[in-house]
Amino acid sequence: MSALELQPLLLQLERGPGPLTPQVLAALAAHGRPLRWAITAAERRPQGGARLQIEAVILRSGGQP
Amino acid sequence: MSAGAPLPTLLVIPTGIGCELGGYAGDAIPAARLLAAASGCLITHPNVMNAAALYWSDPRIHYVEGSSLDRFAAGELALRPVRRQRIGLLLDAGIEPELRQRHLQVADGCRASLGLEIGPVVDTDQPLEVSLSLGASGVSWGRLGQPGALLRAGERLKAAGATAIAVVARFPDDPGSEALTAYRQGGGVDALAGAEAVISHLLSQELGLPCAHAPALSPLPLDPDLDPRAAGEELGYTFLACVLVGLSRAPDLVPAPQAQPGDLAMGQVGALLAPAGALGGAAVLAAAERGIPVIAVHNPCLLQVGAEALGLQVLPAASYAEAAGLVLALREGISPAALRRPL
Repeated sequence: MSALELQPLLLQLERGPGPLTPQVLAALAAHGRPLRWAITAAERRPQGGARLQIEAVILRSGGQP
Repeated sequence: MSAGAPLPTLLVIPTGIGCELGGYAGDAIPAARLLAAASGCLITHPNVMNAAALYWSDPRIHYVEGSSLDRFAAGELALRPVRRQRIGLLLDAGIEPELRQRHLQVADGCRASLGLEIGPVVDTDQPLEVSLSLGASGVSWGRLGQPGALLRAGERLKAAGATAIAVVARFPDDPGSEALTAYRQGGGVDALAGAEAVISHLLSQELGLPCAHAPALSPLPLDPDLDPRAAGEELGYTFLACVLVGLSRAPDLVPAPQAQPGDLAMGQVGALLAPAGALGGAAVLAAAERGIPVIAVHNPCLLQVGAEALGLQVLPAASYAEAAGLVLALREGISPAALRRPL
């Protein structure tokens, strides 16, 4: 337990079709277990879709890449 | 379900994003009280209800820590109303002895004057090392240097019979900072909020208990220009009383497969309210993806993540008063569209 670390994370995500939550969670999961996250900026594309900025705090065990 | 029966409603006002209403010391409580009356059942989080030395208790309002509220919205948790919780008090070893004593006296006062069940008290085995930070957007986030120490103390409290946990962490004093000055005068973001959320999220997620946090800080010098929205935080020596009152009747967190009749589940929720510019959070997206009406309330904040950018269908409301009207319409089975012209 002493090896737990909390890391801030900033991600950019191109939104694909379908529900948004699974897309965000999949993007975050690559970095660890999300403790807290939010979409903090969103820019809609003229051709459809959107570019999202996600800020998060990720929980990782020590030594985890 | 008959028209007029309570309509479980979620109220989300994210912490640390500088909301004009709800971004200070429990200054969304009046809106929460109104929405509780309109819905008959309001589920909301500590940032809405915590006003440091001030608090409001209403059996129609369910006090649920933010990450647990997100898990409720995702359908992972149900909420089980209780008559009372036994609140364990978790204190950061980094709190100085006199400030620690102040917090113990708040617990004593809440036991003696309000009849709350509080105890045991556990100190962390090393200082938690809280630091404050802002994200790329200016949102308050914050760091916790020793998360393992927090969890070890929480597990000791749970093993000792605590059914909810109030945690007090020593936060850095920065009385001369521009951010604090702006906050006390009604501008900017609550710089403490992000680290507070990290602490309560971690405890609640790992232990499965209702949790809430109060920062321990040295008293500030008198500010004659103090904004009324921040005044609740300058009435005493601690921010703990509201947390203890909130947790005293916070619902139990039940894994969804273990839900029983009488528990609250996301399938019963009839509406969610959030600031119109802060729709990019887990609970809002979960509600929208389930087809639950999302009421986007005009409440200026640091973010501009609105319905159009996210492709969400929402009911707009110019104020929480208008939003309460929409909740009442939904509760009574009245189509919100019928209340607007042109039809």
